[in-house]
Amino acid sequence: MGEPNVEKKSTSKTEVSSLLEKNRDPLRKGKLTVGLIVAALFILPIIWMLLVSLKPNGYSTTNPLDWFLPPFTFTNYIDIVVDSLILRWLFNSFLVATITTILTLILTSLAAFAISQMKFRYKNFIFIFFLLGLMIPGEATIIPLYEIVKNLNMLDSYAGLILPMIASPLGVIVLKSFFDNVPKEVIESAIIDGCSNFKIFYKIILPLAKPAMASIGIFTFIGSWNNFLWPYLSILSENLYTLPVGLPVFNATYSQAYVLPMTANAIASIPVIIVFLIFEKQIVKGISFTGIKG
Amino acid sequence: MNKKSWIQDLKAIPYLLPFFVAYLLFTILPIFKGLEMSLFDWTLVRKMEFVGLENYKEMFGDPHFWRTLWNTTLFVILTTPTMVALALGLALLANIKTKLQTFFRSSFFLPSILSVAVISFLAIFMLQPYSGFVNTVLHSVGIEAEPFWMADKVLAWISIVVVTLWWTVGFNMVLFLAGLQDIPDSLYEASEIDGASRWDQFRHITLPQLVPIGKVILLLQILASYKVFAQILLITGGGPGGATRPLIQYIYEAGFRQNNLGYAATMSYALFFILLILSIIQLRNQRLEER
Repeated sequence: MGEPNVEKKSTSKTEVSSLLEKNRDPLRKGKLTVGLIVAALFILPIIWMLLVSLKPNGYSTTNPLDWFLPPFTFTNYIDIVVDSLILRWLFNSFLVATITTILTLILTSLAAFAISQMKFRYKNFIFIFFLLGLMIPGEATIIPLYEIVKNLNMLDSYAGLILPMIASPLGVIVLKSFFDNVPKEVIESAIIDGCSNFKIFYKIILPLAKPAMASIGIFTFIGSWNNFLWPYLSILSENLYTLPVGLPVFNATYSQAYVLPMTANAIASIPVIIVFLIFEKQIVKGISFTGIKG
Repeated sequence: MNKKSWIQDLKAIPYLLPFFVAYLLFTILPIFKGLEMSLFDWTLVRKMEFVGLENYKEMFGDPHFWRTLWNTTLFVILTTPTMVALALGLALLANIKTKLQTFFRSSFFLPSILSVAVISFLAIFMLQPYSGFVNTVLHSVGIEAEPFWMADKVLAWISIVVVTLWWTVGFNMVLFLAGLQDIPDSLYEASEIDGASRWDQFRHITLPQLVPIGKVILLLQILASYKVFAQILLITGGGPGGATRPLIQYIYEAGFRQNNLGYAATMSYALFFILLILSIIQLRNQRLEER
């Protein structure tokens, strides 16, 4: 499986090897051109969305090029922020994704630490029991989950959005295999120094496991941010909608004139686009590190 | 048992308990709860009466169940090979050593981070007749047709497949990219000495070396595609005339529109077994690769 070395080879040797490759590969120019065209096609809808959001409300045109040219205005953004719940939904999505991520990291790292470093009975049995969770698809158990959350009186609440999503077996497995690789000598010397289990966990293991924790964290965050089915079922109040559930409700009130809905979509997307552009390398590494879709 | 091992067992409990409780309650319990629900006539409000295997009988004779299961399968058939091929192609482009490398990778991956609601409404507004971006582009290059992308069965499927590929291919590209970079340089260097052409290298080194990761991607893709729901619901609503409605949408409608959670849980069980078999195959394959 993929190791976290997606960027390693390319950055240091780029200059030298690109000089070498220029002479070796006769098709290089053609490949780069294809790459540029495909990349442009991939981002075209996103750029179009951002530019449409800057058009005056009600704007419409038969010439597709007009979308990419002025006049531009920011008034849509102000209208949306004032008149709709989009900001509230953005906040909900952010809050739910953040708390889900933090709780997932705490729960999975504690469990992984016990399984990796502590001695207790039925350890293998418990680990296999956790592994089973990898085979249980959330989509297929969502109807009974609804009933359980209803019985816990947590429908239509933040707790109901967050708690069912925090026990990630994948997290335990990835972190356990990472903790297993921490050198024995480090831990033994800590025990001799009289460190408690929790201190070993908190002071030694966790700092060493930062890359693995970051991967799990990124995965959990993106998964929660984009989760649609569960909030769609469990949330009824408009105030508690997350963006994926709220946006369609907002968009559906518009049909032909799509400037305002595009502004709403842009507001929903700009924060994640910025975060992605900043953390691109870590995100890409995180994916090849865990190698399994959330 | 001596006293010391008891103490060690107790020490592990605080570490395991929080995960264990959440896992038991929200991952394991639903499986049993689902079994119970599937044996009852069960509404949104409460449990009604025990009906035994009636729900299962109804499911096997329900043409909508088979139709939506087929639609989901059709989605898997349409997206899986195209996804693997496109992901490989993009990974090869993104692996070219050039100053554009980061730009390529970011562009191919960028759609993956957008919310399903955003990509769905981008698709709706880009594809809508008369004023949508795609149709106006068609007109401006002299094509006078006015395709109604969501009203025609074939066009609706094409729209969903293309949008799904665009939205999710970045993830698979990254996995292929990791696979590409795990291929030792020495293999290429050795073959160069033997006078192999670029095309020979691609066929005899790159492709065979990518087979293991390719298998993983293939299985993950099938597994993920069987869970398709959100983008279809939002883009076509399952239409035209139910032609694109996936199984999960039907489960949702049976449970929450027709107020029949028992039947919805029964159909969930069918989906559960399909996905269970697929993930057992997937985990097995992964274990074999790791050996």
